[in-house]
Amino acid sequence: MSFYQTWLPFIYLYGIGGVSFLLGTFLIFRTGALRVNDPVHKKWVWVLFYGYFFYAFIHALFIYLAIESV
Amino acid sequence: MDNILGTNLDRIVILAYFAIVMGFGAYFGKYSKTTSDYFFGGRRFAWWLITISIVATGIGSHSFVKYSTKAYQYGFSSTMTYMNDWFFMPLFLFGWLPIIYYLRLGSIPEYFERRFSREARYIATFMILMYMIGYIAIQFLTLATALYKIYGIPLMLTVILIAIATTIYMHFGGQTSVIFTDLIQGFILIFAGLLLFYLGLNFLVDNTSYASGLKALWENLTPAEKLPLANFNSPPDFNFVGIFWQDGIAGSIGFLFLNQGLIMRFMAARSVNEGRKAAAFNVLVILPVSAIVVSNAGWIGKAIANSIPGALPIDLAPNDVFVSVANLITSPGVFGFIIAALCAALMSTSDTLVNASSSVIINDIYRPLTKNKASDEEQLKLARLASVLVKVIAVCLVPFFNSFDSIYEAHGWFHSTFTPPLVVGVFLGIFWRRFTSTAVIATFVVGAFLMILGQVYPSLISPFSHGIEFRPGRGYSYIGALYNLVVCAGVGVIVTLFTKPNPNKNLTGLTVFDVHKLKNIFKGSDVNELTGKPVIVNYEIKDLKEDMVSFSEDDMKIANAKKGDLVYIQDSRWWLGGLKSIHATYDTPHKEDGIVYISQKQCDSGMFINGLSLKAEKEM
Repeated sequence: MSFYQTWLPFIYLYGIGGVSFLLGTFLIFRTGALRVNDPVHKKWVWVLFYGYFFYAFIHALFIYLAIESV
Repeated sequence: MDNILGTNLDRIVILAYFAIVMGFGAYFGKYSKTTSDYFFGGRRFAWWLITISIVATGIGSHSFVKYSTKAYQYGFSSTMTYMNDWFFMPLFLFGWLPIIYYLRLGSIPEYFERRFSREARYIATFMILMYMIGYIAIQFLTLATALYKIYGIPLMLTVILIAIATTIYMHFGGQTSVIFTDLIQGFILIFAGLLLFYLGLNFLVDNTSYASGLKALWENLTPAEKLPLANFNSPPDFNFVGIFWQDGIAGSIGFLFLNQGLIMRFMAARSVNEGRKAAAFNVLVILPVSAIVVSNAGWIGKAIANSIPGALPIDLAPNDVFVSVANLITSPGVFGFIIAALCAALMSTSDTLVNASSSVIINDIYRPLTKNKASDEEQLKLARLASVLVKVIAVCLVPFFNSFDSIYEAHGWFHSTFTPPLVVGVFLGIFWRRFTSTAVIATFVVGAFLMILGQVYPSLISPFSHGIEFRPGRGYSYIGALYNLVVCAGVGVIVTLFTKPNPNKNLTGLTVFDVHKLKNIFKGSDVNELTGKPVIVNYEIKDLKEDMVSFSEDDMKIANAKKGDLVYIQDSRWWLGGLKSIHATYDTPHKEDGIVYISQKQCDSGMFINGLSLKAEKEM
């Protein structure tokens, strides 16, 4: 299997997706929409980053397992 | 009619299912008393109830057919579109959701008027209505494609019968009916999809040498079929980069920011934070499970084709994968139940879209034209009439979509044509204060013209193609969405830089820069941010001012509430999820602890039962 089938889509997805995610998080933080000193909002910051890494982990795991099964 | 699938038992199961769902929807229709209830469910439901009802919105009947096809052809990468929605969640949860909730937006076009101008609203209304009605037509076509093979009746007659059946309970219901019907639909969809997966794995165990179904599935897929993301830029009809821009970017923003049906679900939540919980749980848990539910027939089918020669036809048509695999691995009756789940998906998605369409017709066309003179009762009648009209137009559009090579292509054409201008318009509107009314209209009109130009001259799209092969006569399938986004955003930015914003336009609360002020706007006074505890009380009927309720001084201390704060009162039985509840304002306190004074009108609206306690929580 080639790089075009395995890690390139992953890098593209979490690279461009990651930039969008971080820009969005930065924007809501800068505008005061997300307040990290609010205990409820603080929990949401954890949820937001958990979601990003949860999906990245699932995708990376399956790419690794597929490569191993060759 | 050759190749009729299923048995008489299957046909009876499907009809019985339709009858039960229609009865359920009509029963809950009695909870819709006003147009606010009809469209938004009265802003009262708990997050878990909203979440379960969203399941059935995220899985349409086309999903089973469409994703099973791609799963059969390409394996696990069929899940891509269900697992790329997280990137815009920060902006949705803390930008767009508070804006639509606290400004009490009735529809997306209403946002365009308040943010830009009435002209922008009308263009947005036209585009959104076209999008939703076309989507309903695709839903009708998909289910009819499955059912006419089972019942042996002509395709268009099947479409008409489906439209009539879904009208019956929508006609007597509304959003409350939709939400509660979707509750059972959501459970049945997930159950049916996972049941099919279980039966498929058992079929593999019985027909291969493996002791475990999952092991048999894994070992009978090729390494390429195990990859969760498709090949970067080939083949032209299913590649990662094209689908990323069409679905991961334009589709995700469209799904989160422009899906009127989904937005109406969040508007039915009892608070913004409950809406956030529903949205996060949906993307983190429900969508991955949904990906398995809609794709597994294709994976099982591929493993069967790879390991048991002759079990499935070699020339199996792509759109027939789901029905053929389900028919192979299930017994009579169970096959009927699985197809009934397909019916569930159709009814849920189409009833949400029909309700959303009638909401747009009433809120964005009828009310502005009549200057809101009609009574609520008249508007409710018109809303029901509008939902019938929407279905008639959708049925008329079915032959057009049937002319595409497959439902997948019809759907793809749809998404890439109607979402980019709206996505750019709403996105720049929320996140760029300078974005002008002239620019948003140019985005819609000039952007649409440039998009059509791209369809006519595909060489315009080539610079964006990432090396995807061009197919003469068929153009670029997905990467066209990147071109469409770029030209629409380009027009929007350039026109904004050459025009001046209207100095008299009040944008307060309409952009992400004012989200922190929205609670004050919603309440109409300063917000009380002190945290309090819920109180359990009984009620007494008193003659009170509009929307006011009165608690004892001690109960208000427990809740940390002051006169003028907002309170949410619900039946204390948690499993009702807010069905029996009201929003009100704290009035001057009294001396009787454990008692809340409410008016007869509030008691009727909340459907509270004498003798059963209520739970009251300060909102803000």
